[in-house]
Amino acid sequence: MTEMNFFGHRPPGIETDALPGRLIVIEATDAAGRSTHVGLLKEWLEDEGYAVMDTGLRRSDLAGPGIQQAKEGHILDPITLNLFYATDLWDRIERRILPGLRAGMVVIADRYMFSLLARAAVRGVSQRWLEDVYGFALIPDRVIYLDIDVEHLVPRVLATQGFDYWESGQDFLRGHDMFQNFVTYQRLLLAEFRRLADRYGFAVVDARGSAGDIFRALKEEVGQVVRGMPLDDPVTEVALEPDLAIGAFASDGLGVENGDAIAGVHGDAVDGQASERSALGGSSQRR
Amino acid sequence: MRDLELPGKLFIVEGIDGSGKSTQLDLLHKWLVSQGYLVVATEWNSASIVKQTTRRGKKRRLLTPMSFSLIHSADFASRIYQQILPALRGGAIVLADRYVYTAFARDAVRGVDREWLRELYSFAVQPSLAFYFDVPLAEAITRIRGGRSQLKYYEAGLDLGLASDPEVSFARFQGLIRQEYEQLVEEFGLIRMDATQTLIRQQRLMREIVRPHLNDIVKVSTGEVREALSSADLLGRYLEPASRVTL
Repeated sequence: MTEMNFFGHRPPGIETDALPGRLIVIEATDAAGRSTHVGLLKEWLEDEGYAVMDTGLRRSDLAGPGIQQAKEGHILDPITLNLFYATDLWDRIERRILPGLRAGMVVIADRYMFSLLARAAVRGVSQRWLEDVYGFALIPDRVIYLDIDVEHLVPRVLATQGFDYWESGQDFLRGHDMFQNFVTYQRLLLAEFRRLADRYGFAVVDARGSAGDIFRALKEEVGQVVRGMPLDDPVTEVALEPDLAIGAFASDGLGVENGDAIAGVHGDAVDGQASERSALGGSSQRR
Repeated sequence: MRDLELPGKLFIVEGIDGSGKSTQLDLLHKWLVSQGYLVVATEWNSASIVKQTTRRGKKRRLLTPMSFSLIHSADFASRIYQQILPALRGGAIVLADRYVYTAFARDAVRGVDREWLRELYSFAVQPSLAFYFDVPLAEAITRIRGGRSQLKYYEAGLDLGLASDPEVSFARFQGLIRQEYEQLVEEFGLIRMDATQTLIRQQRLMREIVRPHLNDIVKVSTGEVREALSSADLLGRYLEPASRVTL
């Protein structure tokens, strides 16, 4: 059960009873292997028979497109950008995460409020203020932090997407030496992540090792959280309580395909915007 | 709210729909410009980048009390950092049609925690003067009926489920907001204006209250271009209308 506890006040219109699903958050800086492991965990959990939904930053119907646009134009001050991200997170909590938990799913959040707190702290935004704002966030069942250092990060970044404007702190660091800025920025960011890990009691997984070792450690952590969840066919359960589960998705442009008991519950992209995917029995789709 | 020592002044108006606050602010704006002051006006829910998201949320009815509150705070933050603070630093008079009190009143009616709202908006700048235009509910509703075609979903407060009829819902919603304003007048010392008085009388009083705050505000030098034009016997055919008057 996920207890309906919030970091601050319970937002209006949210129930008090615990929900049957689980909320697991994976936090890490970019290129630490976060999305890879979210993908692996999702597949593993589905193979084990769990219903899984994943969600990540900027994927809300409401605020996702706006943030993308604002980031491309580099036009927002840090306070506005943070409030935009807060809107995005709340929209996903209310319209994705909570319905998933109500339906008994394992919800994996590829980053939550903690990445946003770390980034904002590095940019000088008041932590106390932002933590108060994020008081609306549901307390996850577990936050797993993939711990890495800059030395291990640099080769991974170079092997994948290269140095990115935001991940190098180009928006607030001086000079055009992107490599130096990346190192400076990531050192500050990782220090913030470790501070948050202490403060919020993250489960820390060493992300410097091989993918296999990291995944084994992640399975161990996630296994503890999902242990005891009923492994009855969740679709049958969902179908029995349309108001609680399918209804919540259907009103949102999502629906059950085929009416088949083992059919995946697909998130249709509304308006060409990526929306969350949820799937059962390995019929997973990625954008 | 931050009480900053800035060279400019911030005057704001609040009140329920139909209280006449925008009309009064507009009259004040014209008077201040005619007196030679540099005036920057800003409206609730108008920041270009955030507005698209708000519009998207309203159109598709994606907004719930919390997302409604958060997206409006993003809009407000964008205007604080891009419009209001720079103008106040530059010594201008900033006129704001609605301020944080609108969020405090509306969002509280939607069930959002009052304390959380004050913390959320703690980056706001303390206004130099904050006017609350107090009008009886029935009077405001009559005024609105005359001027507006159709009430929109969130405007009528239909998301609160107070009533299914938009007009009935709107009246109840405004009534609840008015109750919140009553608390805010006390808490923040808003200047209560009797909005049942004549337009002229209200405006005269508003100017009297504003005047002492204008003492050390710089005026824009006017007429320089006009002078240059007339001394050279030119018409200024290629000048923007704005620069002909203000520069």
